[in-house]
Amino acid sequence: MRDYIIRRILGMIPLILIVMIVSFGIFSLVPNPFAALTENPRIKRADVERLKHAWGFDLPWHLRFFRWFGGVVRGDWGPSLLFPGSTAREVIGRALPITMRVMGLEFLLALIIALPIGILSAVKQYSITDYIVTVISFFGMSMPTFWFGLLMMMFFSVLLKRPSGMPLLPAGGLMTPGLEDAPFFVKFGDRLQYLVMPVAVLAFNSIGGWTRYMRTSMLEVIRQDYIRTARAKGVPERFVINRHALRNALIPIVTLVALSAPIVVGGAAITETIFTIPGMGSLIIQAQIKADYPTAMIALMLSSILVIVFNLVADIVYAWIDPRIKYS
Amino acid sequence: MENREVLVDVKNLRTFFYTEDGVVPAVDGIDLTIHRGEVVGLVGESGCGKSVASLSIMRLIANPPGKILSGEIFFHGEDLLKKSDEEMRLIRGDKISMIFQEPMTSLNPVFTIGDQISEAITLHQKIDAAEAKKRTIEMLRLVGIPEPERRFSQYPHEMSGGMRQRVMIAMALSSNPELLISDEATTALDVTIQAQILDLMRGLQKKLGMAILIITHNLAVVAEMAEFIAIAYSGKIVENASAREIFKTPRHPYTHGLLQSIPRFTERKTTEPLPAIEGMVPSPYHMPKGCSFNPRCPFATERCREEAPELEELSPGHLVRCYHPIEY
Repeated sequence: MRDYIIRRILGMIPLILIVMIVSFGIFSLVPNPFAALTENPRIKRADVERLKHAWGFDLPWHLRFFRWFGGVVRGDWGPSLLFPGSTAREVIGRALPITMRVMGLEFLLALIIALPIGILSAVKQYSITDYIVTVISFFGMSMPTFWFGLLMMMFFSVLLKRPSGMPLLPAGGLMTPGLEDAPFFVKFGDRLQYLVMPVAVLAFNSIGGWTRYMRTSMLEVIRQDYIRTARAKGVPERFVINRHALRNALIPIVTLVALSAPIVVGGAAITETIFTIPGMGSLIIQAQIKADYPTAMIALMLSSILVIVFNLVADIVYAWIDPRIKYS
Repeated sequence: MENREVLVDVKNLRTFFYTEDGVVPAVDGIDLTIHRGEVVGLVGESGCGKSVASLSIMRLIANPPGKILSGEIFFHGEDLLKKSDEEMRLIRGDKISMIFQEPMTSLNPVFTIGDQISEAITLHQKIDAAEAKKRTIEMLRLVGIPEPERRFSQYPHEMSGGMRQRVMIAMALSSNPELLISDEATTALDVTIQAQILDLMRGLQKKLGMAILIITHNLAVVAEMAEFIAIAYSGKIVENASAREIFKTPRHPYTHGLLQSIPRFTERKTTEPLPAIEGMVPSPYHMPKGCSFNPRCPFATERCREEAPELEELSPGHLVRCYHPIEY
């Protein structure tokens, strides 16, 4: 098993290299990024040339790739064109922790809620509980986040007010200005209230899907012969479900959850935009629209690497819960 | 023989399934008596309700769609159908055990066989894990599994079908049950393995003295094993007698037909086609009026098409459900 993991990690190196070439290649295909500058009569031709030289755009593409590659490896990811004066690394370094906080919370919350509800829904198939869970799940899956986000905002920020006249929950942003020097728990509580709505909107969406998957998987397992065997030997019903059925039912869920995990870094562009959260999702969109190639390339690369990493994580967890899977 | 203690007494058991296509009277009048330490065979074609009857004794019928409508299942004089779920759970795997048709799918793939047998032991006996392990290894040795210490930590997928059925038997017998229900336990196995498992069950029955209810469609299996045989047809017991009487003087036309359709290598010329019972088992949704066997019966009369016969004792210990039993 250890050998297998080492081999897989080594195998990731060429894969990541390919990802880097493709990320770079895609952005090399875009037409001349300096077009807007050259067309602008107020910018001198010489300045444009100077800029081109500084960013290596006067080199042929393969030399440019090696220059970029060297930079990425050294940690110099190039300048951000979106935020002049900042490097791509600084820009991503600001957005990444914010996204990880929002998405990580969303991810955990959705898992903690969706899996037990899915199990309950399967065990009580066709009961009132099952129908209620089903309706709510489909609602969660079908409700577009931007629309649900706006509804929440209207309800909790516009209609419902605190006695002080402030909205019950802040409509956007990350923290109340002016609290930078407040004690830790005040800052913590303040930040938490900004997270309530975006996390709820995103989690509701994930819970809908995961509940359905968990239910389906559980229903499949509780029909199996070995569940009947467990009952026949007198295992109490809750252990039949939590011990004998659950471990089998989780096997397909692992793939699903592991492959959704990269969003913890990739962010949710729409929800972040609605709640004005300066996270990775909105950063990636803006970087692509506003032709901030260095930032966009790194973001694309990071997302791809995470998909590769979580694939490996899924395979390892598989082997851990299913003894029939042996890697050698 | 007359003084033997009655262990199980099933009286007029009726278990129906309520499906979207209609009501299926899977078991509609099963009467069965099993004495302590006795081997009884319950024989019938697919769909005659023999498995449902055995699952009813274990109270393992999923409700919905199944429901035990009426009848009594006395075990040591107490009606199992009146027991609470928890009381019944404590009986399952302890006093009454069951082994199933599909050894390949009847064991939980994610737990070692040692785990699964030990669980059955610790559920019903107050012993610690180390002792349960000792007992498990003892049971594995008892059912003829080589290298039981090594097999203890193996998973089901590492074993053949015959070995898995031995594991199932070890698990079922680990708490010294008074009744072992074997539901087509050898059907899915190769003929040679089938013989080995039957030998094993017979040997263990002699050694441990439990009663066995053998459910099968295979007359050869009960001929080898059972002292008493009950023949089931479309949810009803049609004939019940000692094995010798069933094979020598079958009184019900269905039993007679079944015995005629067994290939024999000596008595008949091999060029003659094997006699078969005409027609098909009636669809459970459209049971014929009167005796359910009347459309296929060579002796059927007007009365058979109008009213259903009751199970009657024609000679001591020989019960038949027929208006025109075969005379010898």
